[in-house]
Amino acid sequence: MLVKRSYLMIILLLVLGMALVACGGDAPAAEEPAAEEPAAEEPMAEEPAAEADGDCASEEVLCVGLVTDVGEIDDKSFNQSAWEGAKRAEAELGAKVDFIETKDAKDYAANIALFAENDYDVIVTVGFAMGEATAIAAGEYPDIDFIGVDQFQAWMFDDDTANDFTNLAGLIFPEDKSGFMAGALAGMLSETGTIAAVLGTDLVPPVVAFKEGYEAGAAYVNPDINFISTYHPGGMDVAFVDPEWGASTAKQAIDQGADVVFGAGGKTGNGALIEVASNEGVFCIGVDTDQWETVPEAHPCLVSSAMKLITPGVFDLIKASQDGAFPAGNFLGEVGLAPFHDLDSQVSDEIKAKLEEIDAGLRDGSIETGYNPGG
Amino acid sequence: METTISVPIWKQVWDRLGVMGTIIIVVLVGILISYMRDPQVTSAVLNSTLRQSTPLVLGALCGLIGERTGIINIGIEGQMLFAAFAGFLANVYIGQLGIFPLGVTLLLAVLVGIAAGALLGWLLAFMSVTLKMDQIIGGTVINILAIGLTGYFYQVGLTTQGKLQPISLGFLADIPLIGPVLFNNPPITYITLLLVVVVHYVLFYTRWGLRSRAVGEYPSAADTVGVNVYFMRYANTIIAGGIAGLAGVFLTLEAVGSFERLMTNGRGFVALAVMIFGKWTPFGAWGAALLFGFATAMQTQLQFQGDLAIPHQFIGMLPYLLTIVVLAGFVGRSRPPAAEGIPYEKE
Amino acid sequence: MSDQTVEEGNGRSSGWLQRIWNTTSVPVGAVLLAALIGAAILAISGANPLDAYAALIKGSFGDSAAFGRTLEKATPLVFSGLAVAFAFKAGLFNIGAQGQLLVGAIVAAYVGFSIEGLPAIIHAPLALIAGAAAGALYGAFPGALKTYTGANEVITTIMLNYVAINLTDFLADGPWKDLTPGNVVARTPKIMDSAAIPFIGDIPVGFLIAILMAVVTWWLLWKTTIGFEIRTVGLNPHGAQYAGIKVAFTVILTMTLSGLLAGMGGAIETQGIVGRFQPGFNANLGFDGITVALLGKTHPFGVIPAALLIGAMKAGSSQMQFSADVAKEITDVIMAFILFFVAADMIIRWILRSRAEGEKITLSSGWGS
Repeated sequence: MLVKRSYLMIILLLVLGMALVACGGDAPAAEEPAAEEPAAEEPMAEEPAAEADGDCASEEVLCVGLVTDVGEIDDKSFNQSAWEGAKRAEAELGAKVDFIETKDAKDYAANIALFAENDYDVIVTVGFAMGEATAIAAGEYPDIDFIGVDQFQAWMFDDDTANDFTNLAGLIFPEDKSGFMAGALAGMLSETGTIAAVLGTDLVPPVVAFKEGYEAGAAYVNPDINFISTYHPGGMDVAFVDPEWGASTAKQAIDQGADVVFGAGGKTGNGALIEVASNEGVFCIGVDTDQWETVPEAHPCLVSSAMKLITPGVFDLIKASQDGAFPAGNFLGEVGLAPFHDLDSQVSDEIKAKLEEIDAGLRDGSIETGYNPGG
Repeated sequence: METTISVPIWKQVWDRLGVMGTIIIVVLVGILISYMRDPQVTSAVLNSTLRQSTPLVLGALCGLIGERTGIINIGIEGQMLFAAFAGFLANVYIGQLGIFPLGVTLLLAVLVGIAAGALLGWLLAFMSVTLKMDQIIGGTVINILAIGLTGYFYQVGLTTQGKLQPISLGFLADIPLIGPVLFNNPPITYITLLLVVVVHYVLFYTRWGLRSRAVGEYPSAADTVGVNVYFMRYANTIIAGGIAGLAGVFLTLEAVGSFERLMTNGRGFVALAVMIFGKWTPFGAWGAALLFGFATAMQTQLQFQGDLAIPHQFIGMLPYLLTIVVLAGFVGRSRPPAAEGIPYEKE
Repeated sequence: MSDQTVEEGNGRSSGWLQRIWNTTSVPVGAVLLAALIGAAILAISGANPLDAYAALIKGSFGDSAAFGRTLEKATPLVFSGLAVAFAFKAGLFNIGAQGQLLVGAIVAAYVGFSIEGLPAIIHAPLALIAGAAAGALYGAFPGALKTYTGANEVITTIMLNYVAINLTDFLADGPWKDLTPGNVVARTPKIMDSAAIPFIGDIPVGFLIAILMAVVTWWLLWKTTIGFEIRTVGLNPHGAQYAGIKVAFTVILTMTLSGLLAGMGGAIETQGIVGRFQPGFNANLGFDGITVALLGKTHPFGVIPAALLIGAMKAGSSQMQFSADVAKEITDVIMAFILFFVAADMIIRWILRSRAEGEKITLSSGWGS
């Protein structure tokens, strides 16, 4: 009896094992080299790339790989905007594009290397946190162009030329100017004299820039404005994914008189926007992209968004790389306010005129936001 | 509040009212004083307190119902997350059918979420009663499973027709301070307050409750007098799962209105703490959840005021430190139900 | 008794094979079953499970670099798993491994970057010990609270996790911030080379330390009086009191050592992998320790394969996204089922329908002993 049972069990395991092995042998038929891994040596890394991934190694095909910061490609925020830039390159430049979502911040380098080892031509890394890993990779793979979104390139400004790159561009944005415009809009829209900001975490420099700009912009149009703001109390890993905290914090601000709420902090900020939507007479302002497109629930209150145009910035840099005119160093992207959409009628011509004046002032430098990181 | 124990008269009050009672009275007095100084901010903070406490109370109720019958549930977080997702999907897809008015859609979605929570409650009961699995493992399985499934199957771009809106209870809502805070809330918040009372009553004043507690304290004795231990554990864990499900749909259908991956953000674990803090009683849990909600609202308010010279991280620690201080200084030792965590083997 | 019967029933020669089979059949069966369920989910959602698994294995064991990455991922999990398992032995549920690990990681970073001019042979162990000590202190605190005020360690450790996140964020963005020109990121400076824990080829030395600590933990628990007392307190605190064991002291000691293990894991992460402390870089390592400890049946030697398994899934998930376009969350689903089947060993035994009794005995004493 016992013997029979052991047979049954062994047979079952064998069947399971065979199934796996058989299938395992079956599937990678398309990418042969993967199946013979144990024996594979040096050329292994090259070959599967050439076969499985089209011809990233060949000259004609432009391959663009994107590595997200911790978070998803569909985050309705900066990862998504950057990916849309890559998608545009796919549509307009015929590029082959792919992405990897980073699950663990320590995998930045490994994820970049996955693309690099497969002969991708351009690698986009999203988020300031990846700056270090991107710079190291840029040194390691001089033939690949690297685009670091939100990554300030400090080597541009030191006297040392040994650490200069020709294949690394940091796509950065003056978020404070965008925030300044949003703050000016909020300051002029507010009737109660109180405006609020619900923010991700101050560990992320762009969030701080948005906030400081917003506050300065509001004070510029109305020095008496009462400005209330709060950062998420959690750490990096929760600060941007806590919509309920964003929502209840927005409510708490509205309850004490705030009638314009700026939500800047990924999904946490989105929670704030949606919350504002169910309060009449209160405006909300989105961040990063035109959130009219990404957070439809906020349509009733969403008057505008403080944008940083990541999508065209990424696309332009990819195109420059294809054209062989890659601008290493810091590449300043566009910022500005999103359209007012359905709430256009609620923004008076006077306000619009003033906003244009401020925009011009910010551009020619006659208006300063007062935000000076590191200073 | 910290001074309360050092003064003898407070000590007497404390002994009579119990710990939670003392804390609540101190807080009430504080609220009144604060209300006289700044009514608007006070209501704002209290509103926020109630709101932040709601998912915690529900989670804690789920936990304590389970533990009272001998099933440890550390899977509250997963149950909430999964139910939040299910309720959200139901809201999206039933809404897309376009055959029901929004209110009916939302009601159905809430029911779906409760059912999803109950389903995971059943899974926990199945693992711990039928399979006699370690209950901590069972809860952990639920947590990881919920994170994985909701993350894997969530797609962006799903939008709903709307979420649950506040219902004003007529003239009650016009009472200063109390009105806007207590009597102008969305439905799940009312249900939560009701559930605290109902669970308390059922647990301590009905045959069902007596049997449930007997099963949690001394299952073999309960068995001898004819109580079906397995059935009681199954039933209670499933009901408790439904309550956790309600906490989940509170997030997606009432508070936020949409779903995001990992959006429970540890609330299920804090609910666990709240349950122990409240010594496995519904009112205790409610008080503990309010304290926690209050501390959270306060830390937001302190940042709003902005005139504090200390880094905001220290304000961010406030709810957690306060919980530790109160727990260590006032509540002290708490005793879980005796047979908790032990699978029952019929003799 | 029944174990013996089984061995006799199978003849004398298969004795040790039998033992190996007994200890490995359930976990191996669990992994296979979970993989099948995962495959079903992948297939339902339109992905090719075979491509996905091939990529997962390639990314975790495909070449020596991939294997090194698996070890890298497993290292902190061994520590946090040991920390949780160790506390379990005294009947304590330390959910606070995450906080203890964070504190250990940042203190090790501080010692690593602030002291200059020490030889590596002193500096690296010093930073490691400092991190471990910080974790130990951070673990001792809830232990002392439990002993002296009765505050339940489940609550206090959950709360202290949040406190640790805030505290480390503050330090990394405040007094210990990296002030290199141009840096806007909240992080500490890079540690000195002398504080780094190196690699031997692709094998992180930290992993070897992890294995060593697993052996030490095992030795402490089963070969010393203290270990006996800890286990006695875990089985029956009242009985332990009557037997003359100082329960209060044992609780504090257990939490301290548990925190020490977690803190050491954080320190090794800083010194061996990250090279500095940066908020968000240690997310979930402590929480995963709970899973690892449970998967390893709370036995120090069970923790190692459990950590390797989870480490491998973490290491391979990027490759899986890259070559098979499968969302990273599927690894969580598979993980949940593995844990389920390992814990619900009766399901596997039912499927295998073999010598239920013999296995039960083997399992209850854990893996490897």
